Amino acid sequence: MKTPLIEARGLKRHYHRGSETVKALDGVDFSIHSGEMVSVLGPSGSGKTTLINLLSCLDAPTEGTMTVAGKSVTGLSEDQLVEVRRGVLGFVFQQFHLLPTLTVMENVELPLTFLGLKPHPQRTKEVLKLVGLLDRASHLPKELSGGQMQRVAIARALMIEPKILVADEPTGNLDKATGESIFGLFKELTQKGLAIIITTHNMAFGYEADRVVTLEDGRILKEEKRA
Amino acid sequence: MDTRLKEDHFTLFRYVSLAFKNLRRRMVRTALTISGVGLAVAMAVSLGGFVMGYQGAINRSIDMLGFQVMIMAKGCPYEAATLMLKGGTGLMYLPGDTYEKVKNDPDIESITPIFVGIALKEGTAKDSEKTFTIINGIDVPSFLSMKPWLKFQSGSGRWFSPQSPDEVVLGSEVAAFEHRQVGDSFEANITPYGKTEAVHHQLKVVGILAQAGTQDDGTVFMPLDSARSAFNRPRQLTILGLKLKQFNAATMRDFENKWLKLPEVQVVSLQQVKTTLISLVATAQTMIAAVAVIAVIVALIGVINTILMSVYERTGEIGIMKAIGARRGDIFQLIWLETLVICLFGSVIGSIFAWFGSGLVEKAIRSLADFGVSGSIVLITPGVVGYAILGSAVLGFFAGLYPAWRAASMRPVESIREGA
Repeated sequence: MKTPLIEARGLKRHYHRGSETVKALDGVDFSIHSGEMVSVLGPSGSGKTTLINLLSCLDAPTEGTMTVAGKSVTGLSEDQLVEVRRGVLGFVFQQFHLLPTLTVMENVELPLTFLGLKPHPQRTKEVLKLVGLLDRASHLPKELSGGQMQRVAIARALMIEPKILVADEPTGNLDKATGESIFGLFKELTQKGLAIIITTHNMAFGYEADRVVTLEDGRILKEEKRA
Repeated sequence: MDTRLKEDHFTLFRYVSLAFKNLRRRMVRTALTISGVGLAVAMAVSLGGFVMGYQGAINRSIDMLGFQVMIMAKGCPYEAATLMLKGGTGLMYLPGDTYEKVKNDPDIESITPIFVGIALKEGTAKDSEKTFTIINGIDVPSFLSMKPWLKFQSGSGRWFSPQSPDEVVLGSEVAAFEHRQVGDSFEANITPYGKTEAVHHQLKVVGILAQAGTQDDGTVFMPLDSARSAFNRPRQLTILGLKLKQFNAATMRDFENKWLKLPEVQVVSLQQVKTTLISLVATAQTMIAAVAVIAVIVALIGVINTILMSVYERTGEIGIMKAIGARRGDIFQLIWLETLVICLFGSVIGSIFAWFGSGLVEKAIRSLADFGVSGSIVLITPGVVGYAILGSAVLGFFAGLYPAWRAASMRPVESIREGA
């Protein structure tokens, strides 16, 4: 059997708010393999974003163990978690956070700067072609629609050839048709071997994933494997 | 096609480029901040130029007097020195026999007697106005031994002889102001000592000196005895200019002690005059420096404020940058470079303004006080500009530390959430 790209056991994330302890996540097991799309569903406050932050090494768990791409990340500091993320994890958020003074092409190439890699115009064009925005390469973000900006954010995430794409409410700011096209793109990407973890409020989109994990009160309520 | 990603050896260039693009985002705010830095740097550069220029002008003016030591009537030695540098009223005179007493001192290498008088001038370029002219009565051979650099303008005459009482040599500024050529007449009204009515003198211009950049440019030179006679002070002198055979603190002290025995005489080292004049102006310079320092501090606070605002506005973006692989150091470097860019741009713009505005600054400074020297007193050199730019870089380095640290310390999860 293939080794999972992410394997987490007993993940807990507790916060202190005054004298109160908030159990945002309270003992969750999770795994994902290459080429798999897993959606995390649940109502607001169920722990979706907390889980996805832990799985993407943006945050460290209070308890639990986890491996990412074969490396144990348990007990790593914030700086060490950056090293795990670099080149392995790509991110797409509900807010696109594109740099407004950079063109589409420059935004897509931005992660290369932080990884100390040369801009690669040919590869950038291929990624932009994949997300259907090659003809917008020299445009500024303000000249794009919301769906186009989200595609740029996806292209930015794909530029470093990640093994895992983490998407937190990627269609939250988009209309239905645009959301469908984004999900269509995600499916294409999984067929190329990319593992994708998505949180969404949209049940219809969520159930297009290979596996659906539903959270409630920081715990897994149910886990369904789609055909 | 090779689509593998390769290591970049120009990452600093990419960060600088990114910093520029980030600063473009709020052009007006960036421009105002750069202007603040520019203003502070312009003040600092002008002050630096003033300090250097004034010291240079003092040194040059006093060196161009040609003496090491002056013997003059008792009074404020610095007022007397200033008088020699730029002219003035309130002249005091040495007793008539001082020259004879001093001239044979074995420590003296050379000595020149000078008589200074002020004449009322008529028939100037503006005929309706009357002006004052400084007249120096000199002994040409000994005077030229002190100032061998004095030359005539091309083809413009000769020195007068002691036997030609009505001949004068004009400094270049006087000649230009009066529109006088060699051979022209020069008219002056001189009030003889003890009289109330001025006597009209028609003098003949026999030479015009080349520009020396000193007080001599604004002086009219006459034979010593002619000048003393015209002012009815036939045996008096204003100054004895001296060079000693050995000039140092010890020989100067010995020489001074020797001649303090003369009751109405004081001995002044021009080195002391230099030091004192510079220290007098240092007070004004300190005040200007204080204002410049305050301006720099205000500008720095402005820079820190601008960059901090920019950091807080970009909380979400910084979170994303960290998520997609930026380390703390990368974010620190980016924000720090933005600060540095603002400071360097400001310093370059401020230096350019200071460079081209130095004439105006000089006029403004001269309008505030009389600095007693001729020539430029604000001298902005590449060195001053270099120090200003270097100083701005250092200040930018420190100003950028806190905003850069704040940005680098942001945690990606909170930043993305707060920036949403």
